[in-house]
Parts: sequence; C-alpha cells; structure tokens
Amino acid sequence: MTALLALAGVGKDYAKVDSRGGRVRLVRDLLAGRGAAQVFRALDGVDFELARGESLGVIGENGAGKSTLLKIVAGVIQPTRGSVAVGGRVGALLELGSGFHPDYTGLANIDLAAALLGVAPAEIAAKRDEIVAFADIGEHIHDPIKHYSSGMVVRLGFAVATALDPDILITDEVLAVGDESFQKKCMAWIERFLAGGGTLLLCSHSMYHVQKLCRRALWLKGGRVERYGPAAEVTQSYLAYHEEKSASAKQPIAATQAAATGVYAIQSLDLAPTDTVAQGGRLTLWGEVFSPDGRAPVVLVGIVRADGTPVYGVATDMDGVQPRRVAPDRYAFALTLPSVALLPGKYFVRAHALDPEGVRLFDNVERPLIVTGETREIGLVRLEHRWDEGQDRDLSTSSPD
Amino acid sequence: MASGSAPSLIGTARKAGSDARVRNRALFVNFFKRELVTRYLGSITGLAWALLHPLALLGVYHFVFTTVFRAGGFGGRSFLLFVAVALWPWLAAQEGLQRATVSLAGYAGLIRKVAFPHELAVYASVAATLTLQFFGYLAVLVVLAAFGEPVRFEGLLIAVPLWLVLAIALTGLALLLAALQVFIRDVEQLLLPVLTILMYLTPILYPLTLVPEGLRPWVAANPFGWLVERLRDALLEGKLALHWGDAVALAVALALFGAGRWVFRRLSPHFEDFL
Repeated sequence: MTALLALAGVGKDYAKVDSRGGRVRLVRDLLAGRGAAQVFRALDGVDFELARGESLGVIGENGAGKSTLLKIVAGVIQPTRGSVAVGGRVGALLELGSGFHPDYTGLANIDLAAALLGVAPAEIAAKRDEIVAFADIGEHIHDPIKHYSSGMVVRLGFAVATALDPDILITDEVLAVGDESFQKKCMAWIERFLAGGGTLLLCSHSMYHVQKLCRRALWLKGGRVERYGPAAEVTQSYLAYHEEKSASAKQPIAATQAAATGVYAIQSLDLAPTDTVAQGGRLTLWGEVFSPDGRAPVVLVGIVRADGTPVYGVATDMDGVQPRRVAPDRYAFALTLPSVALLPGKYFVRAHALDPEGVRLFDNVERPLIVTGETREIGLVRLEHRWDEGQDRDLSTSSPD
Repeated sequence: MASGSAPSLIGTARKAGSDARVRNRALFVNFFKRELVTRYLGSITGLAWALLHPLALLGVYHFVFTTVFRAGGFGGRSFLLFVAVALWPWLAAQEGLQRATVSLAGYAGLIRKVAFPHELAVYASVAATLTLQFFGYLAVLVVLAAFGEPVRFEGLLIAVPLWLVLAIALTGLALLLAALQVFIRDVEQLLLPVLTILMYLTPILYPLTLVPEGLRPWVAANPFGWLVERLRDALLEGKLALHWGDAVALAVALALFGAGRWVFRRLSPHFEDFL
C-alpha cells in the first residue's frame, strides 16, 4: 500500500453561536441539512499523503487547527469538506487520557478502551496485564480515573494506545506530562515503534521532538497548510517565521514569550569525561548552541536532582562571559566544575538556550548525571564545614537571664 | 507491525460490515453495565431506591385516593393493583427520558476524543432504566398477588410486548431529547414539569370513565393512556386479544424511533463542539 493516510481538500467548519436564540437557529439549520449560518473555519484545503513508516510532525501556532486535524484523522470528528482515507489501525492519545471515563477504575477503562477500539474481549484479557505493567501505576489501577494525577492518566493512556499495535499513533503534547522515567520509556517505545515501521502523527511545539521523531512536517497557519515537506526544512522556516514575527512586531517581551517556540537551540550537550563522576571529582559540561541571527545566545546550565529539585544553575551572562563563536550560526560553551560537591545519587544536567538578552528561554536539553561515592551525609551537596571542639555554648551566645 | 488487514478503528463509517457491528455490540454491553453499576449497584441504596421510590409513591397515592378522597369508580377493582399496573411503566418512561436526556454529558470525555456511534450512549441509558424498572414491575405484581390482589399473570403475554413497544417509542424520544439537550440546555429544565403535567393528564391514577364525556376523547388520544388501558385489560381482566390499535401503536413507536434517530444522526457530528 502506498499511502497509509491520504487527506484531500479537508476542511472543518465550527458553528459560531453567540446567544441562546443562535443555538435554536443552529439546530434548525442542522436539521434542515443546511449547515451553520455562521462558521469559523478551523481547517481549510488540507491535502497530504503519508506513506507507511513516514512520521509526520504537525506544527503551528495555538489555534492553527492542529488538534482539529488530529481529531479528523482519528475519526473523532468528520470533516466538513474533503475526504480522509486511513489504511490501518489508529491509536490516538488526544489531550489527556485518550477518552477515559472518570468514574471508571483504571482496569475498567482498559476494558472500555478495548471495546472502543473493537478488540475482542478474549483478546483484551491477554493485553490487560501488558498494559498494566507498562503504565506501572501500582494499586491505583483499581481506583477511579478521576482520582489520578495527570501524569498517571497519561501513563495509562499511553499504555492503552500503544498496546494494540497501531499502524498510526496520533499524539499531541501529552508526552511532556509524565515524569522523567516514564518519558524515557515513552521515547524508547516510540523509537522502537518507528524502527519497526510504525507511523507517528505528532503535534508538538517542540521542534526538537519533531526533528528527532518525524521525517516530514506539516505547518498549519490559520487552518491552512503553510508548508509541508521534510521535517528539517519545515521546522526551520517555521522558526524563521517566528523570529521575523517577533522582530517586526516589537511587542513587549512578555507578550511574545508565549508565541515563541524556539529559535536559539541547544544542539548538543555532553558530559566529560563521562556521565558518571565520583564525588569531589572534576566534571566538564560542553555543547553547542544554534543562533539563527548569529548573535551570541545566553546559555543557562544547571543541575537538578532526579525528582526535579534544582540544585544549582548559572548562566553565561551572570558571569559576564559569552559562548565562543565556532560558525556563523553556532556557538560553543564549556563549563567546568573542578570539584563536584554533589552527594552521591542521580541528577540531571540541564542546558537552556536563551536569547542574547537572556530573557526568553527557548529549550531544555537534559543529560543524566550519576555521582558515585560512599558517604552517610544527608542532602544534596557537601557544604564546607568544621566541627569545633570544646566550645562552651554560653561563651558564644548571650545567655538569657 | 500489525498487518494491513487489521480492523479499522476509525468509527463505523469507514469500515462497514460485521466488524463495526461486533464492536458496537461490545461497546453497548460495556455502557449498559456501567449504567447499571454506577447508577444503581454502585451505591448501597441505589438498587433499593429504584424499587422503593415507586412503592412509596404507590403507598402515598393509595392513602390519598382511597382514605382521604375516598375515590370510587374503579369498577370494583382494587385501587392498588389498578394504579400499580400503570404507574410503573410511567415512572420507567419518566426516569428513562430524564436520564437519557442528560446521558451524553456523561460521555463528553469519550465523544471529544474517540470515534464511536454516540447513540449507543442513549441506548444504554434507556435500556438500563427500562430493564431495572421492568424487573421492579414483575416483582411488584408478584408481591401484590401474594397479598391476595387478583393479578392475571397470563396478561404478561400482552404486557411484555407492550413494554417492548414502550421501549421503542421511548428510545426514539430519548434520542431526540438527548440530541437537543446538547445544544439547548433548557430541554432538561422543561422536561420535569412537562412530564408531571402529562402524568396527571394520563389516566394513571384515575379510570378514563371518571373523565367527563366531552373531554374523554382528548384524554384517550394520549398514547400513554392507550398503553395504560391495554396493560389494565391484560393484567386485571386477562384480556389477551390483539386488535388493530396494537399495530397502530407499534407503527407510532417505530415512527418515533425513526424520527428520533434521524434528528440524532443529523446533530451528532456537532456534539464534540458543544458538549
């Protein structure tokens, strides 16, 4: 089969109603088969074909129609115009929870999802254990979903959507919700899925993920296809568009912050000598940053504990240094910690690229860091300290009379 | 990866035939069980309440009509049985409509994220209510018979098909109301007063013979009144003969179902945006 997914002239109108009377008129119009009188064009004239194994990243600003497009491919909504042809199983993770019922327990939701996906009850019994194991939320599987944290819902949703061997996996930003270890598990699954010929339809604001996971990208703007092609090209022009937009708009930074989806980007982050360092040992973090306009970006490097607690962070502009220019659009940085004061355990090194003003933070690249050593000290870092012998407390502090 | 012949998961429209039917049946069973469990069996009092509510009403009506008003005209028939036979189907219809009207809201999360025929939610809601109320009806008939009321059980041969006709008509109305409720929230608000008024206009608590001559055709034109009369004839008198009115009733019920489903299917593609 050549095209796994083919959309031709797909458009979706949403009815616009402002008053109660408008709703009554809308019902009348819909019953008469006329369609709504006033509509908002969420999507218009979307054409593309996707071959098996060709993953697609859907990018665009908020309200560009990305979710609508994913919902149409997933079959949740019917397009107002055009045709959609899907030649395989679809697993969809839309927003949070992939259609769970809040009152059901985790297990009951697995059964519900199976029924929704058309899996025979006999088949789902075998899959259930697999799903429960992948979601890995322990005894909570017996609790109603409404008591779950958003991370737990995503874990279960991902486990369900992937357990049924989809040909196409549709997902929006949900992967950002799970915790670090689950995100890794998801990424590992997705990479295996892609290597096995699976097709991913990813809607993301993270150009990093789109470039990493998708061969092709579709840029939606105002419900229309602005550009469709190889992921690298489309994401580059999308980023350039944003840079242009924020430069010409000259809006206050706070206003553009939400719209900006990344221009300055950490391209590599490495730990030397390795990602395992002995307590008190020497560690060098180095990497490269992409700068679209050739100006020197600010690099923020920090260390967080495995649970996300920040330990220490420092940026180039705080110390009055600049990354070194190695190419017209590329800067290198290196930060050496001569003596790592961290107590043994698992940490992450994070690097962020900021604009030259050091205001807008564009991305977040992370590497695990293991600190080894044997100590009974408690906490995150070893502070300089000294035990003083034989000091009488009364001598150093004034005693209350 | 899964082979190309794996069943499509994209709704019924794209994969016709038996796959979709098997899936829809499994989905209906899942929804139906859920309706029963969360509504009635989930709480300790739920199931008891489903039976106690009509029993309590029956007791109150009995007190008001036979002790306070000392109403007559039941043709020598027992007031309790006379009312019970009609009250249960009415309460079943009332509860069925009220629950089904708001049933789609309970499936909002699914409707927004997963492709499935939305009408299954309404079917499950109506079916759960009617199933439970029907068993309540049988239980009450047995209890009344045990207390010496002259129940003609052979009348069930007519009563059961009548419940099925009621179920068809009710499902049609439920589809209509549930679909309208998504767009016009007043439907739910209007339903209870309308149903209450209809109940008193239907010869449930009184026989048609007590209605003044001139008004009688109007009251008799109420289809539910027809159902009530048929149930009484069957279960109180043991009349088992079919007549042409039954065919008309079935036709009306099927027409209601067809109309309700037509409206529902016209509106359902837009639920996702309005729930």
